[in-house]
Amino acid sequence: MNRVPVTITVNGQPFTASVEPRQHLADFLRETVGLTGTHLGCEQGVCGACTVEIDGRPQRSCIAFAVACDGSTVRTVEGFDDDPTMSELREAFSTHHGLQCGFCTPGMLITSRDIVRRCGETDERTIREELSGNLCRCTGYMGIVAAVGSVCRGKTPEVEAPPVATPVPAAATAPIRLPEPAMAAGAPVRPSMAPAPAPSVAATPLASAAGDSAGWTAIDQTITVAAAPATVWDALGDVRGVAACLPGAEVEKLEGESLTGRMSVRFGPIKARFAGEGTVRRDESAHTGRVTGAGRDSGSGSQAAGEVVYRVVEGERPDSATVVVTIRYRLTGTLAQFSRGALVQDFVRRMAETFASNLSASLAPRADGAPPQAAKPVEMNVLAMLVSVLAGRIKRLFTSA
Amino acid sequence: MKAPVFDYHRARSVQDALAALADGNGDAKPMAGGCSLGPMLNLRLARPTRVVDLRHAPELRRVEETSDRLIIGALWTHAEIEDGAMPCATNGFLPSVAHGIAYRAVRNRGTIGGSVAHADPAADWISTLLTLDARLLIHAPDGERQASIDTFMLGGYSTELGDDELLTGIVLPKLSSRGRWAYHKICRKTGEFAKAIGAVLHDPERGLTRVVCGAIERTPILLEETSAALGRAGPQAAAAVLRDEIDRRLSDHDAVFRQMHHTAVDRALAELGSK
Repeated sequence: MNRVPVTITVNGQPFTASVEPRQHLADFLRETVGLTGTHLGCEQGVCGACTVEIDGRPQRSCIAFAVACDGSTVRTVEGFDDDPTMSELREAFSTHHGLQCGFCTPGMLITSRDIVRRCGETDERTIREELSGNLCRCTGYMGIVAAVGSVCRGKTPEVEAPPVATPVPAAATAPIRLPEPAMAAGAPVRPSMAPAPAPSVAATPLASAAGDSAGWTAIDQTITVAAAPATVWDALGDVRGVAACLPGAEVEKLEGESLTGRMSVRFGPIKARFAGEGTVRRDESAHTGRVTGAGRDSGSGSQAAGEVVYRVVEGERPDSATVVVTIRYRLTGTLAQFSRGALVQDFVRRMAETFASNLSASLAPRADGAPPQAAKPVEMNVLAMLVSVLAGRIKRLFTSA
Repeated sequence: MKAPVFDYHRARSVQDALAALADGNGDAKPMAGGCSLGPMLNLRLARPTRVVDLRHAPELRRVEETSDRLIIGALWTHAEIEDGAMPCATNGFLPSVAHGIAYRAVRNRGTIGGSVAHADPAADWISTLLTLDARLLIHAPDGERQASIDTFMLGGYSTELGDDELLTGIVLPKLSSRGRWAYHKICRKTGEFAKAIGAVLHDPERGLTRVVCGAIERTPILLEETSAALGRAGPQAAAAVLRDEIDRRLSDHDAVFRQMHHTAVDRALAELGSK
């Protein structure tokens, strides 16, 4: 196990210890230094129970890692015995009944002291706003707000404004070439930053009840291809080729209707690599196909299941085909606890757009008049793919592939 | 929960950070204040093998200027911007937005560059910088480049930054004395991620007339028609075409979502009109 030596000054006394980089400051304080006044509630920076002073400023000790605080000075709730403002606050919390179970109190006190020092005498609205990053599960806010207000009364702000940094001329320190701004008079408005989707691709998330039932999300895609429906239908029978249009997907084994494969996705700092199995079913007479799959990401222990249903129909123009695709997916496990489902949906929507435009490109007749064929499998990086499609930087994709 | 195991590298310079990222084979993650990455590590949503700490790279705290631009390093915290630790080029726009980000204890550690690189669609800086038509300084192994905020963010959590690249600074326009702005966000609780953001900037001397709708669960959008109407005939005229443009641009969202975003932008326009 990797350990790193750190020295952190806690309440005036330096502590040297060897820590795992993953240990956050609150655990360092509680377990290594033995100061259990700092409490842990959410461990994701929301509840404020773990608030301590780091280098003179209140900060969350649950999302600051101890290793990143090497060389810092930390003050916990235990370190304010001789602080006059804190002693007033302790008294006021008692007088105004500003605590019930006491779990949030250490964080409340650190934040409250900062409010008194920064704001001085102020109104209740400001106090409530400033306290909003500290949650009291007893909901005892009335007493806490009254206590802080009583200590603020008659005080002037003690914290001085920081010195204002003096800018240096940019040319002297860095060869920054500022391109001519596109803000010249007469051209106040620039084109939108959102690139228009390719004309043949339309994505609309399903608003139907089925789309959201039991944790499933569905996304519709319509792809128009300049080739006869029968030709497109045949090309879609090449499962490996179709999979190559989906960034991050790899088919490992294909036997009859069964396949095994992998799907790598990357969503900002979140990366997952699902390995699993699936089936491919095609109805020749109706020109409909259904690909299902389910897999597990061993890193996070999360599971994903997905289904792609497609139907090939005559296009509006002669010798063109329309592929109507519905993608449904469900995520369970750690990754599903990510509470911003709409962002995941947008991510899948963008991936579906990429898939649709790749598929469309791979199915279109080639310049030499040869019949359409599915794209040759290329190892693709989701990010590079999105960059290339969304920012129109196709070149970059093929130089990195 | 506790974060998964990772290696830690404290970068002493931008070059040092770039080398540590390149050495991480795509599994290294830069961290500034850690106010976005920290929670994701603790929830084990992010599992990088290496974290590269940027807080000790002095270049990331530079403040430079040209005749019409202010360049700030990526590592300035929200609280420092709120408190005016650097000259304000934006007539109070940046400090005001900074004040509304999360909570003071988060603002004391979280950085503007970290927030922009994280690219959460509901976060404040992405929408603000789009409104200001700011540019971003990016350091890659082969040198420095500038990116337009218009094309930097590809979607939620996705930007044009490569695995081995760093967002190192923000290039802000210096607004003229006539430059006015307004910013309105709708949150159910103070300090939470916005449900809707409306941001407006009007600086005829700089040729900047931009109305932005943010927190739309993907990259914030510049409302071109509303911006044009604002430039031509003022906030009331802009408000008159706003509904139509919001309904069209957010057509894949439900009526409540569109109404909320219309309200945020409408209030920002009204506030601009009263300034």
